[in-house]
Amino acid sequence: MARVAREMVEKAGINVDQLVELLVKNAAAELTTYYYYTILRCNLVGLDGETIKEIAEVARIEDRNHFEALVPRIYELGGSLPKDMKEFHDISGCPPAYLPAKIETVEDILKVLVEAERCAVRQYTYICNLTAGKDHRTYDLALSILHEEIEHESWFSEFLGEGPSGHFMRRGETSPFVSKFLK
Amino acid sequence: MKRFTGAELRYYDGKEGRPAYVAFGGKVYDVSSSFLWKGGCHQVLHSAGEDLTEALRKAPHGAEFLERFPVVGELVEE
Repeated sequence: MARVAREMVEKAGINVDQLVELLVKNAAAELTTYYYYTILRCNLVGLDGETIKEIAEVARIEDRNHFEALVPRIYELGGSLPKDMKEFHDISGCPPAYLPAKIETVEDILKVLVEAERCAVRQYTYICNLTAGKDHRTYDLALSILHEEIEHESWFSEFLGEGPSGHFMRRGETSPFVSKFLK
Repeated sequence: MKRFTGAELRYYDGKEGRPAYVAFGGKVYDVSSSFLWKGGCHQVLHSAGEDLTEALRKAPHGAEFLERFPVVGELVEE
């Protein structure tokens, strides 16, 4: 725990226990999404599915990176992860991204992916609003994750025909915004 | 349609097996089936059994999420 760092956030007027709980819920959302995206990716087959598979894989890896980036901040602020993985799953800030009933319909899988990303965009927008000008480190982290979640949403929604599109796939390494927290 | 006062609504807090109801815009919604309302708590900050009309204005989503759930009554003055 970083005692003074926590005190600074408290003095800025943030309820740190509530903030930590929100960060834990979002860490749970990231790790469970990583898990569920593994299954979704495995079912992206055929001409349409294979087109999306690589992009789903990038989102999957970046969501795992978000989990890794969130954990140190949780512990710095005096929080911790639940010792029980089942509990961790059930407190997720976003619903499980289950495989849809009709797995052969790639559009249905895309809808699951885009809904998961939209939940994440809402979550990190909220944390940015909560911490702006008060908790600079959490804000920077949440904003970095938000940049990547917005790109994920764009990728998937544009595959669903929501355009026009101004986005391209990653060129090179994953997590261009969050990687500074992983070094 | 059942009419709830604020005091009656507070009973439906989603805890200890009770249903989770929330009010918005005068309507009372049953959110018990929602993954995001487990234990009557939503995103750390919001509790079932309350009128969320004001809170929803500051939320990162609109009323469209509530409209997915059944309306079980209306909220009336005490």
